[in-house]
Amino acid sequence: MEKSEATTIEVAETSRERKGKAPLLAAPVPADHHAKAAGNKRGVAIFDLILRISAAAAALGATIAMGTAEQTLPFFTQFFQFQASYDDLPTFSFFVIAMAIVTAYLVLSVPFSIVCIVRPVAAAPRLLLILCDTLAVTLATSAGGAAAAIVYLAHNGNSDANWLAICQQFTDFCQRVSGAVVGSFITVALLIFLVVLSAIALKKH
Amino acid sequence: MGGVEVGAKDFGSGQKRSGVSRGVAVLDFILRLVAIVATLASAIAMGTTNESLPFFTQFIRFRAKYNDLPTFTFFVVANSIVSAYLVLSLAFSIFHIIRSGGGQKSRVVLIFFDTGMLALLTAGASAAAAIVYLAHKGNTRTNWFAICQQYNSFCERISGSLIGSFGGIIVLILLILISAATLSRR
Repeated sequence: MEKSEATTIEVAETSRERKGKAPLLAAPVPADHHAKAAGNKRGVAIFDLILRISAAAAALGATIAMGTAEQTLPFFTQFFQFQASYDDLPTFSFFVIAMAIVTAYLVLSVPFSIVCIVRPVAAAPRLLLILCDTLAVTLATSAGGAAAAIVYLAHNGNSDANWLAICQQFTDFCQRVSGAVVGSFITVALLIFLVVLSAIALKKH
Repeated sequence: MGGVEVGAKDFGSGQKRSGVSRGVAVLDFILRLVAIVATLASAIAMGTTNESLPFFTQFIRFRAKYNDLPTFTFFVVANSIVSAYLVLSLAFSIFHIIRSGGGQKSRVVLIFFDTGMLALLTAGASAAAAIVYLAHKGNTRTNWFAICQQYNSFCERISGSLIGSFGGIIVLILLILISAATLSRR
């Protein structure tokens, strides 16, 4: 009986030792894995910051291009002068306001992006950034799409609705406005890229 | 006995977590169905516009249809594309419900396409909204006449079809947020 007790005790110690040994062997691997994951996320965060600054520049360019769009034609009649300005069309006013909001948001989100670089594994700032970036995509796309519809109409007119193509007279105004719309679409593309980057960085490896 | 108790506790919290994520995946599926209905309704409402005014001259027939304005054609096309994409992405959604450990890579792909479709839908909806605004108010500076004053039912139809589209936009935003939140929890 003593012999069998001794045998059981030995078996128990061996299994306990095995359990004791296993975590020691396993410990280095997750730490190394974590460091690699954090490094990847930091790289993604730096790229995110660069894209964010470019998107802010594009949005600022679009806002200023549309906001300073104004043309006065060299001929005039006795009663009025032929003038085109961005606030003649309410859609363009909406464009300027919306792109200004997007520019301000992008500039204000740079500190959050820097926080993501400094703490690559934190999920909360990234979630906030994805939420606000999605809203910014919506706002910028809506401004760009609405302005693009009006610009298309200004270039081509519409015979069924009897709408005249004003671009044939106000060429400089038209060019400026079209350039602003292109700038806003560049901002949208960059913002979509930012959303996907944040999603990739949120992945837990 | 102690070991068995600890094991039971772990199993319980893991089951709870998978229950929450399964509920979220079901919510994702339902929201996708809602968005399909909304965008499809918008496309159909805009696509079946056709109003003829009761008077006509010898040469012109006064008629308004959605493809008289290329922006509305773009609106119908965009809504149809988003609708078709959402139907295809239902497969992904079902996959996420079944495998509640949910593939991370498939979620990132889903977020990518969802954001692209959000941009397409918003562009179409806001372009159509700009033209609808112009049709209601006209513009004195550019001498553009407000066609809504004559084509009443056409105007009502095109204004109403915007609602479904904007509803689809909101649902798509929610879908992106749900996918992102699920990604960060895993």
